[in-house]
Amino acid sequence: MKPIQSGPQETADEFSQGQWDKIDSVIAAYRGKPGALIPVLEEVQGISGYLPEVVQRRVARGLGIPLSQVYGVVTFYSFFTMKPRGRHQVRVCLGTACHVRGGHLLEKKISQDLHIQPGEVDKDRLFSLEIVRCVGACGLAPVMVVDDDTHKQVKAARVEEILAGYRNREEGHHG
Amino acid sequence: MDEKITSLEALQAIARQAGEDHRKYRLRLMVCGSNDCHLTGSNEIIDAFQEQIRGRNLEDQVQVVATGCIGSCSMGPVMTVWPEDIFYMKLRPEDVVELMDSHVEGGHPVERLMYHDPATGQAIAHSADIPFFARQHPIVLGNKGIIDPESIRDYIGQNGYQALYKSLVALSPPEIIAEIKTSGLRGRGGGGFPTGVKWEFCANTKSDVKYVLCNADEGDPGAFMDRRIMEDDPHAILEGMIIGAKAINASQGYIYCRAEYPLALERLYAALDQARSMGLLGKNIMGTGFDFDIEIYKGAGAFVCGEETALMTSIEGKRGTPRPRPPFPAVSGLWGKPSILNNVETWASVPRILFGGGEAYAEIGTESSKGTKVFAVTGSINNIGLVEVPMGTSIGEIIFDIGGGVSGGKQFKAAQLGGPSGGCVPAEYLNLHTDYEAIVKAGAIMGSGGMIVMDEDTCMVDMARYFMDFCQDESCGKCTPCRVGTKRMLQIVENICKGEGRPEDLDLLESLSHTINDASLCGLGQTAPNPVLSTLKYFMDEYRAHIEDKKCPAGVCADLFESPCQNACPVEMDIPGYIALIRAGRLEDAYKVLKRTNPFPSVCGRVCGHPCQNKCRRSQLDEELAIKNLKRFITDHASPPRPEPVPVVHPEKIAVIGAGPAGMTAALEMKKRGYAVTVYEALPEAGGMLRWGIPEYRLPRDILSREIREILDTGVALKTNIKIGVDVSFDDLKANHDAVYIGMGAQKSAPLGLINEDAAGIIGAVEFLRDYTMGRNVRAGKRVAVIGGGNSAIDAARTALRLGAESVTILYRRERKDMPALEAEVKAAEEEGVAIDFLVAPLEILVSDGSIKGLKLQRMRLGDFDASGRRRPKAIEDSSFELEIDMLIPAIGQQAELDLLFPATRIDDRTKDTITIHAGGNTIAVNRDYSTDHAGVWAGGDIVTGPAMVIDAIAAGRKAAISMDRALRASKGEQPWHETEDRIEIPVEVDEEVEEQFQIRIRELPPAERGRNFREVELGYEGNMAALEARRCLRCDVKTEE
Repeated sequence: MKPIQSGPQETADEFSQGQWDKIDSVIAAYRGKPGALIPVLEEVQGISGYLPEVVQRRVARGLGIPLSQVYGVVTFYSFFTMKPRGRHQVRVCLGTACHVRGGHLLEKKISQDLHIQPGEVDKDRLFSLEIVRCVGACGLAPVMVVDDDTHKQVKAARVEEILAGYRNREEGHHG
Repeated sequence: MDEKITSLEALQAIARQAGEDHRKYRLRLMVCGSNDCHLTGSNEIIDAFQEQIRGRNLEDQVQVVATGCIGSCSMGPVMTVWPEDIFYMKLRPEDVVELMDSHVEGGHPVERLMYHDPATGQAIAHSADIPFFARQHPIVLGNKGIIDPESIRDYIGQNGYQALYKSLVALSPPEIIAEIKTSGLRGRGGGGFPTGVKWEFCANTKSDVKYVLCNADEGDPGAFMDRRIMEDDPHAILEGMIIGAKAINASQGYIYCRAEYPLALERLYAALDQARSMGLLGKNIMGTGFDFDIEIYKGAGAFVCGEETALMTSIEGKRGTPRPRPPFPAVSGLWGKPSILNNVETWASVPRILFGGGEAYAEIGTESSKGTKVFAVTGSINNIGLVEVPMGTSIGEIIFDIGGGVSGGKQFKAAQLGGPSGGCVPAEYLNLHTDYEAIVKAGAIMGSGGMIVMDEDTCMVDMARYFMDFCQDESCGKCTPCRVGTKRMLQIVENICKGEGRPEDLDLLESLSHTINDASLCGLGQTAPNPVLSTLKYFMDEYRAHIEDKKCPAGVCADLFESPCQNACPVEMDIPGYIALIRAGRLEDAYKVLKRTNPFPSVCGRVCGHPCQNKCRRSQLDEELAIKNLKRFITDHASPPRPEPVPVVHPEKIAVIGAGPAGMTAALEMKKRGYAVTVYEALPEAGGMLRWGIPEYRLPRDILSREIREILDTGVALKTNIKIGVDVSFDDLKANHDAVYIGMGAQKSAPLGLINEDAAGIIGAVEFLRDYTMGRNVRAGKRVAVIGGGNSAIDAARTALRLGAESVTILYRRERKDMPALEAEVKAAEEEGVAIDFLVAPLEILVSDGSIKGLKLQRMRLGDFDASGRRRPKAIEDSSFELEIDMLIPAIGQQAELDLLFPATRIDDRTKDTITIHAGGNTIAVNRDYSTDHAGVWAGGDIVTGPAMVIDAIAAGRKAAISMDRALRASKGEQPWHETEDRIEIPVEVDEEVEEQFQIRIRELPPAERGRNFREVELGYEGNMAALEARRCLRCDVKTEE
């Protein structure tokens, strides 16, 4: 784990004024409520996409708690990330039922196709890959979730097709 | 704006109204709207129905309701039609029109869309008659398929919130607690702590502020019962929590729900709003002056936060690390205040208990574990899904009777109970009752109710690794035993899976496990070693195979094998290699590859039980490769490598007893290594069971003779008509040779143990087949019965038919799926007209004038499970009947004539040089290297294992020879023989696109032509059939480098 270096790594320019305003209003809404740090971070991550040091400092200052406490919480919970995520999050379930039905082969295939490891984002910042432990859809193992879409009984052969669907959607967007 | 409910009458009025609203419709189509069915297309079906109903102007008559989950995920999308209770499954949008025409408007339910009994194929219309539903006892899941999860009125219509009313108005808090205590309810999250006692502690602790918490973090992989309850029946949880709050006098509650369940969160939020607007939550609940409200706290992806103190710490906005206990949460919990924390399933049980009474609830279940439990049955099972049964139901009943058994026709191996904190129980425990204490005694835990079914394709070492990886990943890091201990244990198990395990690792894993158990701060660490401990206890053989043999028998640990097929083959034939050579048209080279490890490829290509095919990865796509037929194709269409005589370079003389596949393979391998080898065979010709036990229509004589000839051409000497123990004593043989290999097999049929078994017309399968092959005048009776279910029984039956029997019946005491015989053989027998009667056992042999005239038989039913994981047949009282026969062929097992080889005095001799014979007197004990305790004597094949496959015997011969050579050379201080073979380059052709295509079927003699002859039935591939089949190989052995 790299230690925080003095001085912010990312500049505040990474995020727009609109995003900072939204972040501030979330903090304001929860200020004073005990135990609010986690819900605040969840909402803030929904705005900024990830929680780099500059955002953590904002939250710490706004809620009146030490940066170390914010950093401790961000690094403890797997839902929080300090690395940027892709536009589409690919989550491969490696829960027991999925594991028994070949989930790891699926993970390998996606890793190979996107040239990334779990926890990383591909070079186009289009897909980030994550392992999750169980999304509770065990009846349809092996399961792969992309954003809010749950794909069931995914055979390694179908991975390309599924990812291509999201790629095309992006192209259509920009076309 | 809803009217606030302030009286029981108001509740009951709403319930009545809900019922009336429902009864307005002639038909209600309850379609499963769960997330899971949604993924299989239920939304399209709901839309299609609504469109049809609108189009046909039936909106006043027919209602479509999206309910919560109704039944097994593997049946989805499902629908129940009320009020008739007709159940439909696996629906497609295309089926909607037919359902509308035929059932909704025409009044005729559609049979083809119903559930069909897997054994009889009969359609079953009502879910009450389908075992998956009928054998469940829904209490917590009592509203499944009946209510719309988003409608509080539906919930009230099912007696919802009446228990709350009772708890607020009619009972005092101590009375509420007493009711819960009477019920015997224990925490359903895994702890199993008596809920009433926990509430009592909290109620008795004085404090101005107390909290009610719901643990909805459900982190166990494979568990989704809490998700179901939250999504499908959220009000049950709320009602339970409000009752709990009243019991301990709390005014604030939290539901800690994991963020991975967005729909559950949505439904919970909606339910809270509905409850508040009806005055059932918030200030002045039901006008009684009691205040209580609930907030939802979303998790952030940490499994450890399912642990109660970690959960509270997380709500407090900190890192979710656990706290030492005491003090317990009931005394000092959230924010240091007394709190009761219970699991979702526990909370959902509370209203039912208060409504029906604690005593009624306590009547269900066992002495120590009351009520029902919801199990999430997943993995290798046919009916995947949630199963709610009374505590005490056996695991076997849940898996086989309700769950429909292991999927894909595979063998049951183990069930993981309790998730990563639990343990696995093997087949011996199928009769285990699901009771908190009983499960702990077996080495697992109830946990939250996860039950993962594992089959023969699961590697138990890999499963242990998987769970340890999970716990290590989720360890919060606060305490050293868990943080460091799980890391170290994971490293050790990973090394074992990679083939780098050491024998010391097993003891190290045990001792680490106990330390981590004892010293960890919370339940995560304390239970993390459990999967390792339970797999060590029940599957030590697999660990040993990984460590000592560097082999993964299940074919999972990829570092230990090239391809699953090769790994499954007892002699590890290079299957992808020879298949690739077929594809490339290089049949001669393919034959060389075959002969490297198997001297009988022509034989195996016809009769092998093909364990390789059972592991073929192609079956995950469409169908396994026909490896056996491909092997045969090579031997039918190419010339074998010419055998050369091998010069004798060692002085030691080797004797082999028995010219069957084990003996002949051992002889060949020793000859290759430069020894003088003599095989002693009791019968007139070599071949063993290959010649005398397998009929010609499966294995033509000339094919067998040719392969025996190829062995003898290397210089192996064969002496037939010499029975060791009769013509030459074992001691003399041993005295004249430096090493002896016993491969005499098991040549006697096991007796039935009935009186009159020596009557005329009764002959064992082995003897019957041998006599026929030897040319003795064997006739089949007119009406023949064969008792048994293995390959010998089938061989005897099909031979009897060919010898002129008018009718042949196989009598088997279990069910079809339990028969050890190859499925293809059973099918062929039936095609030829053999009748098979199941669940029947012989009681008496009926004799007249010294000849058999009939059998008295008994019907059986299946009882408890035995250690093999199959149900034990039990006689049905007064069910006997008679069968008229004139010939009986027992085929229930085979025995060896060890007493000839080793007369009684020898067996009892306790000197150093004794052969250890297993109890039963039919098999010899050998060490891992096939040596016996008798110096200079090795053994293998059926004489060691009992009847097994041909390829097992070949492997036993080959491996023993390797050991014999090593031992003999080591005694002279020399190196063992080293194979110097020609390198054959295997082409690598892997298809980019893989299209689905089933196996190319080989040609077979049509049943009509088989008649009374012994012509070969399987005819093999012709033309380009083999090449096409070979193209289907996925080349699992080719590992691409990035």
